[in-house]
Amino acid sequence: MSKWNIYTPDGVQDILCEDCFTKKEMEHKLRILFRSYGFSELETPAIEFYDVFASEGSAMLQENMFKFFDQQGRILVLRPDITVPVARITATKFRDRAYPLRFSYIGNVYRYNDFGGGKQNEFTQAGIEVLGVNTPESDAEVIAIAIQSLKACGPESFQIDIGQVEFFNGLMEETGLSEEDISKVRMLIDRKDLVGLEEFLKRSEIREDLKELISGLPGFFGSSDVLDKARAFELNKRSRDALENISQVLCILEDYGLGQYISVDLGMLRGLAYDTGIIFRGFTYGVGFPVLTGGRYDKLVGEFGAECPATGFSLGVNMVLMALQRQKVELGKPGTDTFVCYAESGRRAAFELCSVLRKQGLAVELDISNRTADEAAAYAAEKKIGGVIRILDEDNVEIHYIQSGETTSVKISELVKR
Amino acid sequence: MRYLTIALSKGRLADLSIELLEKLGIDCSEYRNASRKLIFTDETNKIKFFLVKPADVPTYVEYGAADMGVVGKDTLLEEGRHLYEVLNLGFAACRMVVAGPAELAGRMDSLNNKRVATKYPRIAREYFEHNRRESIEVIKLNGSVELAPLVGLSEVIVDIVESGRTLKENGLVVLDTIADISARVVVNRVSMKMESERINKLIDGLRKLL
Repeated sequence: MSKWNIYTPDGVQDILCEDCFTKKEMEHKLRILFRSYGFSELETPAIEFYDVFASEGSAMLQENMFKFFDQQGRILVLRPDITVPVARITATKFRDRAYPLRFSYIGNVYRYNDFGGGKQNEFTQAGIEVLGVNTPESDAEVIAIAIQSLKACGPESFQIDIGQVEFFNGLMEETGLSEEDISKVRMLIDRKDLVGLEEFLKRSEIREDLKELISGLPGFFGSSDVLDKARAFELNKRSRDALENISQVLCILEDYGLGQYISVDLGMLRGLAYDTGIIFRGFTYGVGFPVLTGGRYDKLVGEFGAECPATGFSLGVNMVLMALQRQKVELGKPGTDTFVCYAESGRRAAFELCSVLRKQGLAVELDISNRTADEAAAYAAEKKIGGVIRILDEDNVEIHYIQSGETTSVKISELVKR
Repeated sequence: MRYLTIALSKGRLADLSIELLEKLGIDCSEYRNASRKLIFTDETNKIKFFLVKPADVPTYVEYGAADMGVVGKDTLLEEGRHLYEVLNLGFAACRMVVAGPAELAGRMDSLNNKRVATKYPRIAREYFEHNRRESIEVIKLNGSVELAPLVGLSEVIVDIVESGRTLKENGLVVLDTIADISARVVVNRVSMKMESERINKLIDGLRKLL
């Protein structure tokens, strides 16, 4: 006997009964929402070739992936994300279609040492990808759907932060820093490491006005005023275009009536390495991590052989669930409405009654342990089942209401009519 | 209003942090009264704070169990958490260095297999692998790291140095400085956004005190 047989590995968990019910309800709501915006759901394999995620654009760290080998010795991974497989599918199976393509997915992803679902190694992502279009309208729609998704899940309050990686890229173009230095600065700004950033800038030779702007960048978040703050500096076209792009998207989101959920963060940079334009993150109280991330990735699909601009987002279902629990949001509970037991002479009638009730939408549990009336009532009370129906014979039925303790006798024909 | 929660590093850092908080008008009397409480509350400002081992501060803040924290840069480097590091408080200043016997000064490259004794395996690895592009063998110790090169456990050490006296007395010299260390204010990434007004007010207040 293995000594590990009663444990689960690190970073995975059983999701039981009520939690599972809430999670599935949430996934259902998201699925309906995605469909209502014209998205088609996809399923991609949980197992992919390592090469799919090893491309330059995906920049998923190899030490974060679950890896193993197939029979030919090729490296396989458990998918660490679903956006990259969707890019693969788009480039290989949806060439020359009418754009945009609108794909959605709900599935589990696997990462070592990540904090997807509160440090879980396996967690569920629900997301959408819009491929083939790079208009501000597409960025805005994806953000609007992200907001609607969080609204559907029901946390008490949340916020979406929008950034634009091209603004930073434009700045870096001006500084003439090396690739290595740029990635250092990117990390310092994304971590709002004001101290480290200052030290770095002191040592480097950059135009003074740019230094001032870069050192202030971690603080450039909040209302759309930060865009004006940034515009006050002398910027190149790339950076100016990026600011203009954010303004356009904000403007469209105002018309959606969703402006109140949005704030801007020009210092938000990391996201994923395949980001190319507008990026965003969603926050709520109760979990210390973003519950939703998204953005534009115009280069990724090209890595699979067909250039195609794209944007999308994914929502961490487990993490939103955790936030709801911490915020003590009232969640729907699973439950059985009726417990049905029967004497042998009433068996056929019992089965018929059960299927009638189930067709009416009730959850009905049938007794399979020959319980007496008292035992049935006690069992129903413990499992929080609303009532017990005892079928005495072909015609007569006794209904026992658990909460009130009342018992009434009726004919089956009457009950079925009700 | 939600409580703003602050995690402080137990020990000298905590006393210095508390002094600063008091200067900002935050009521720390519960802490001063030396009760056995684990969490101290200032009801008027809606601020809670608690003391934990320094190495745990980044964890509390990363997970959002604390909105902010005060912790040494050495701990931040070693823990490598996803946090916003927003302010250098300047106190508890020292250096993270590589040290070893004087004959290695300027000739660290000459060692083929480097064994590095340290309390900070991650910092050591990061420094040697990324900055120097060298493979090393890390030997994790929990104290008196200076001893390791003396008894042949390791060639060099990575450790914190304040005055350098301990090194000197044991015949060791600083071979390279990895980073300047001091107390830092860190903020959870979500709290920074959801509570930005209150947090920024606190940070600005602290900055003015320095």
